[in-house]
Amino acid sequence: MASSVVKSIISTVREKGLGGFFRYLKDEGYRRCLPDGNLLQTKIHNIGATLVGVDKYGNKYYEKTENTQYGRHRWVEYAEKTRYNASQVPAEWHGWLHFITDHTGDELLLLRPKRYGLDHKENLSGEGDEFIYHSKGHALNPGQRNWTRYQPWESTTKP
Amino acid sequence: MGLGLLASKAMRPTASRLLNFQNPNNLLLRTIVSKPELRKPEPAAAQPEAPLVDLSPRTPVGGARVHFSNPEDAIEVFVDGFPVKIPKGFSVLQACEVAGVDIPRFCYHSRLSIAGNCRMCLVEVEKSPKPVASCAMPALPGMKIKTDTPVAKKAREGVMEFLLMNHPLDCPICDQGGECDLQDQSMAFGSDRGRFTDMKRSVVDKNLGPLVKTVMTRCIQCTRCVRFASEVAGVQDLGMLGRGSGEEIGTYVEKLMTSELSGNVIDICPVGALTSKPFAFKARNWELKGTETIDVTDAVGSNIRIDSRGPEVLRIVPRLNEDINEEWISDKTRFCYDGLKRQRLNDPMIRGPDGRFKPVNWGDALAVVAEAAHQVKPEEIVGISGKLSDAESMIVLKDFLNRMGSNNVWGEGISENTNADLRSGYIMNTSIAGLEKADAFLLVGTQPRVEAAMVNARIRKTVTSNHAKVGYVGPATDFNYDHQHLGTGPQTLVEIAEGRHPFSKIISNAKHPVIIVGAGIFERKDQDAIFAAIETIAKQGNVVRSDWNGLNVLLLHAAQAAALDLGLVPQSEKSLESAKFVYLMGADDTNIDKIPKDAFVVYQGHHGDKSVYRADVILPAAAFSEKEGTYENTEGCTQQTWPAVPTVGDSRDDWKIIRALSEVAGVRLPYDTIGGVRSRLRNVAPNLAQMDEREPAALPSSLRPTFTQKVDPTPFGVAVENFYMTDAITRASKIMAQCSAMLLKK
Amino acid sequence: MAQAIRNAKVPPNSVNLEEARQRVFEFFRSACRSLPTVMEVYNLYDVATISQLRSTIAAEIRKNDHITNPKVIDLLLFKGLEELKNVVNHSKQRHHIVGQYVVGRRGLEQQELAAKEQGISNFLKNFYNSNYS
Repeated sequence: MASSVVKSIISTVREKGLGGFFRYLKDEGYRRCLPDGNLLQTKIHNIGATLVGVDKYGNKYYEKTENTQYGRHRWVEYAEKTRYNASQVPAEWHGWLHFITDHTGDELLLLRPKRYGLDHKENLSGEGDEFIYHSKGHALNPGQRNWTRYQPWESTTKP
Repeated sequence: MGLGLLASKAMRPTASRLLNFQNPNNLLLRTIVSKPELRKPEPAAAQPEAPLVDLSPRTPVGGARVHFSNPEDAIEVFVDGFPVKIPKGFSVLQACEVAGVDIPRFCYHSRLSIAGNCRMCLVEVEKSPKPVASCAMPALPGMKIKTDTPVAKKAREGVMEFLLMNHPLDCPICDQGGECDLQDQSMAFGSDRGRFTDMKRSVVDKNLGPLVKTVMTRCIQCTRCVRFASEVAGVQDLGMLGRGSGEEIGTYVEKLMTSELSGNVIDICPVGALTSKPFAFKARNWELKGTETIDVTDAVGSNIRIDSRGPEVLRIVPRLNEDINEEWISDKTRFCYDGLKRQRLNDPMIRGPDGRFKPVNWGDALAVVAEAAHQVKPEEIVGISGKLSDAESMIVLKDFLNRMGSNNVWGEGISENTNADLRSGYIMNTSIAGLEKADAFLLVGTQPRVEAAMVNARIRKTVTSNHAKVGYVGPATDFNYDHQHLGTGPQTLVEIAEGRHPFSKIISNAKHPVIIVGAGIFERKDQDAIFAAIETIAKQGNVVRSDWNGLNVLLLHAAQAAALDLGLVPQSEKSLESAKFVYLMGADDTNIDKIPKDAFVVYQGHHGDKSVYRADVILPAAAFSEKEGTYENTEGCTQQTWPAVPTVGDSRDDWKIIRALSEVAGVRLPYDTIGGVRSRLRNVAPNLAQMDEREPAALPSSLRPTFTQKVDPTPFGVAVENFYMTDAITRASKIMAQCSAMLLKK
Repeated sequence: MAQAIRNAKVPPNSVNLEEARQRVFEFFRSACRSLPTVMEVYNLYDVATISQLRSTIAAEIRKNDHITNPKVIDLLLFKGLEELKNVVNHSKQRHHIVGQYVVGRRGLEQQELAAKEQGISNFLKNFYNSNYS
């Protein structure tokens, strides 16, 4: 295992040069591994696993069926390396990731109705007042629905 | 035990054995008939008289009453063994109705001609080899009609199966769902399964204009709409194309339906083929609250039901009233309701020094009005009530201005020389239903088709059934029945009066001649001379007799009759020009340019229409759908509106506003409740207290003093320019604007 | 703030009118002190100001200024404190506060208005109030 890691590092350095290699390390979030053990563990976990798919947000979905405890054989590496949470997984991948289905998100996307269906939105709680969800009747919703059932006469309109 | 019972007992075991036999091959023989005795129906005639179970008198369907014009004409028929007496000429279906048996039907409609093409009303008649279509079969004496025998039931099931064969199963998205005849009757008479496995046919939808939505695939070819259009509405727009399964209802060429009664096809369509376009997908009928009220968009006072949900009026449908609108209403009545939601005045407003309106509370608004009213001389105060005002608010306005010392109060459409003293001089003396007896009409300066569509429908009905002659004096206009255009101006009237015109013969030869004068004539300077000429015609033609009063005035709007009853007539021509304080109570069709620049104008009303822009203070009031108000229609029938929805915003009932204003102004009026106002109303005009009763005029109009004024040769004008937009509500309505854009373009 | 209110207790029975009076003042002060919290919690900035709410509280208290029985004052104080607790603890929703203490209340102006309404008929009072009464 360790030898394959070293091999892949050497091949990457050869391919991109040393500067390119460090940029690659930074982009892939290896630098965040130092303060974030969770990410480090994911990275180690990724070694030897198969990449099943990448969703449109850049989250990578891995699977490793051998030498892995059952129930830990599918996981996601978030595209967002600093502020990641489970709500960033879109609906089509959710089922695969949680062992609800064996169809990958890419397969399920083909079944998605074209005419309707909203884009996935991650939960932005705690990210600021403007991200708080307010229902259509809420006083703080800027587009608060007007429940008046009649249209009043506007005194500014002239005949 | 009768033979029949024995026979059925003998038959039953075999039938049940057949059914219970669980042979898989037998299951393929799925049968539409669900009951064993229906599987082998035999005419019940073969059975001897079974012991009659139920001979107690049954209540006729829908409280139907039979009127025997001639007692000798009565014949007796037996419906399910129950004897009923009916007049000669009744159909089998009507006989069944009198006997309290409701026969399912689609094409039959009591107000239209009989088509007999849906076959749903099949019943069994003794000694008849086949079931007969009861709507088209005249009842004969001694006929024995059987309505719930196996033959009749099987016939209905069969017809229903054929009807549903090509009917789409889209009840969940159909606007008729819940009030659909086909839905109801297939539940009651249809089979619980179908045998149809082919493709259903589909039909291209027709564009009938902005009011009627068509889904022609749902059509069952009952032809009610075709018959309605040609018989009642008098337009030959709709027709039947093709035969067999290619049969379609449609306009022959691409064309909109240009009738002012076109909305009624929505009501008579038994399925969801013709539905209301503005109401499409808005609500289900079981969510709606119905309020039985009357219509105020014209002077007919059609009886309507306002269907509302919460604070919204969602649709208007007609209510049966044989004396006024039968069961039809005009398109303006039916579709004006979206105007009730637009351009509403919802707060009292005062015009600030910068010319802009500022919302204020009621106390401040009334204080400003009261102060302004006290700063002018009493004779400079003027009050005008509008087209939609109810009698209560008009009497309160009159009382208030009288207490302020002014008698300058009048209603719109009434000029200073209008005769309000004799009631027979401004109402429809013949009554609307009475027009059906007439055999000659003289229409003077009135276009009933646009002024009062329901009256026009009566005239048309009379013309087609009695072959009545119609003479018309006025500008060229559109009629949907045969008429002679006699002339355009009062000169023609003088000719008829002097007997120089051929039409004077027709009037004097007629048994029940009718003269209808348009209320547009009230605006003319020479109206006394015109009425004198008309009275001469009436005298010569013997139009006014003890048993027949054929001299009519057709009023233009809902408030007019009550305003004349209450004496709301201007004192002099100049009173508006010299006014300093003008109180407009919903008056939008008054010439506001006549109001002097320095006058203080108060507008009380429910819509921001024309006069608001001249107002200094706006007091928001309730529309007819939101208040309890008394209206008198053109034939002198007093009716009442009931509130269907709450008032919008901060608005108040009309009479309450003036009552409150009177208190702020220090001339407190003595009534606090609507009952109090009505008892005051009873003192002034007793007929306004007789709800839902037509009060005929007491004095014949010949008591008028005679005038010798010369008539003015200028031709009669058109009173209603645009049928669809006549008042504040209809002018605010988007649907009415669409209609006038699409249907009125020539 | 909530903590302070929770700990505030109405001791049983004021001995005389003067003591009850003092307690009323105390209650008014604690209510006024809680107002910034109330504004924050119920997000009332766009519908009311602190001074308006203060004047509403004063008007509520002055409504009962004719009462001289200390026991009754104690009872009313208890009810007032209960209400204050409910408000501060967010046991109410925004529309409760807006409906009860903001809309239609103009604090002390209200009493002037009531004085103006003296001498007008019931009809006019009802008329100003609503169309349906």
